[in-house]
Amino acid sequence: MALPMSADIPARPVPQRLVNDFALLFNGRQKAELEQMLVAFDDSTSNQIAVVTVNDLEGDDVNHYAVRIGLEWGVGSKEFNNGIVVLVKPKNATGYGEVAIQIGYGLEGAIPDIYAKRIIDYTMIPRFREGDYYQGVYDACQELMALASGEISEPRGGRGEESFAGLIIFILMLVFIFWAISKANKRGKGGGDDDNIGGGRHIFWGPFIGGSSSGSSWGGGRSGGFGGGFGGFGGGSFGGGGASGRW
Amino acid sequence: MKKGLSTTAILLILAVVVIAWGVKAYNNLVSGEETVSTAWAQVENVYQRRADLIPNLVATVKGYAAHEQSTFEAVTQARANATGMTVDASNLTPEQIAEFQKAQGQLSTALGRLIAISENYPELKANENFKDLQAQLEGTENRISTERMKFNEAAKKFNVSVRRFPANIIAGIFGFQTKGYFEAAEGASTAPKVEF
Repeated sequence: MALPMSADIPARPVPQRLVNDFALLFNGRQKAELEQMLVAFDDSTSNQIAVVTVNDLEGDDVNHYAVRIGLEWGVGSKEFNNGIVVLVKPKNATGYGEVAIQIGYGLEGAIPDIYAKRIIDYTMIPRFREGDYYQGVYDACQELMALASGEISEPRGGRGEESFAGLIIFILMLVFIFWAISKANKRGKGGGDDDNIGGGRHIFWGPFIGGSSSGSSWGGGRSGGFGGGFGGFGGGSFGGGGASGRW
Repeated sequence: MKKGLSTTAILLILAVVVIAWGVKAYNNLVSGEETVSTAWAQVENVYQRRADLIPNLVATVKGYAAHEQSTFEAVTQARANATGMTVDASNLTPEQIAEFQKAQGQLSTALGRLIAISENYPELKANENFKDLQAQLEGTENRISTERMKFNEAAKKFNVSVRRFPANIIAGIFGFQTKGYFEAAEGASTAPKVEF
């Protein structure tokens, strides 16, 4: 069986985003709407759906191209492998339109090949034939979201727990620091050399306290920050499950 | 006397360093080899998945094209040959992998002919069960392609670490062998996609 020719896939975008419309099929409002929906989905379930449009597959098989995007960008979390890649190459001068949905290992149970195929054949391609790429992709994402969240639903509000733990650690560190300083002070009063050590300790802990405060506020700020933007791809893996179609 | 002690001490330290490095190199090779074995198991898994789809596929096509006997027999025979040809993970030589790939390639060809039958039978082509099996088969072919790619990557990584100096010394002492690869094939063995 032939191993398909490997075209260069686009590099992972910086800053990272879920909607990557290289073929310019969507307008600004549509891109924002889709990105918002998918980021919210990532926040509430940790499932990551990446949408990529390209004008030219450069002879590569559409499934192979999509899998490589999933693997190299690391779509989905490392823990659950719950990424999905929706790849659209519109009908244009280079040939017929092609679409692929590639499913990460962790979602293969929720979205078997047949379901992906049906989404492509009944939801996407009819719209694509009319030239309505946005609606086809949007509706497909809705269906994929419904299927995926049935299987994996880990809200990223779990980050609230992280900053709470960070706060506890910060308090413990403060207690430890004050305890250590008081011990150093006691020793410092003992002799000449110890004074230097005591002084050194004061200087040493200074930046550490400063670091701890910023560490904790970073913990707190982080939960707030993710409400606004995409947190980044999680390093999920793919096995080649999914489906494709062309028109 | 002090000079003698220093030399012994230096030699001892050197020995410890060399042994420590040797242990690390050996463990690296072991990890790498395990990764290759795991990747191989995945490859076998997805090929088996394809084999498992075939009886259902043959039965569905038979329902519409009963007299294409020779094609059915060819597929059944090729499937038996392919599932009979297994490679042990400890023996992933280029020759063994080539044989494995050849057996699977023959199955691909026979499968391609089976699917092509549907071109002459529009009712078969429109049959929902057949369409579902088609989707599953295409998904499985893509899985095969993906796991083979991952296997080749794991094998390449391992082969580089086996052949690079000075780790190749450890590899030679403990008998680590380079692994074979899946070769980019022969167009004849690609199962053609039937588009509706």
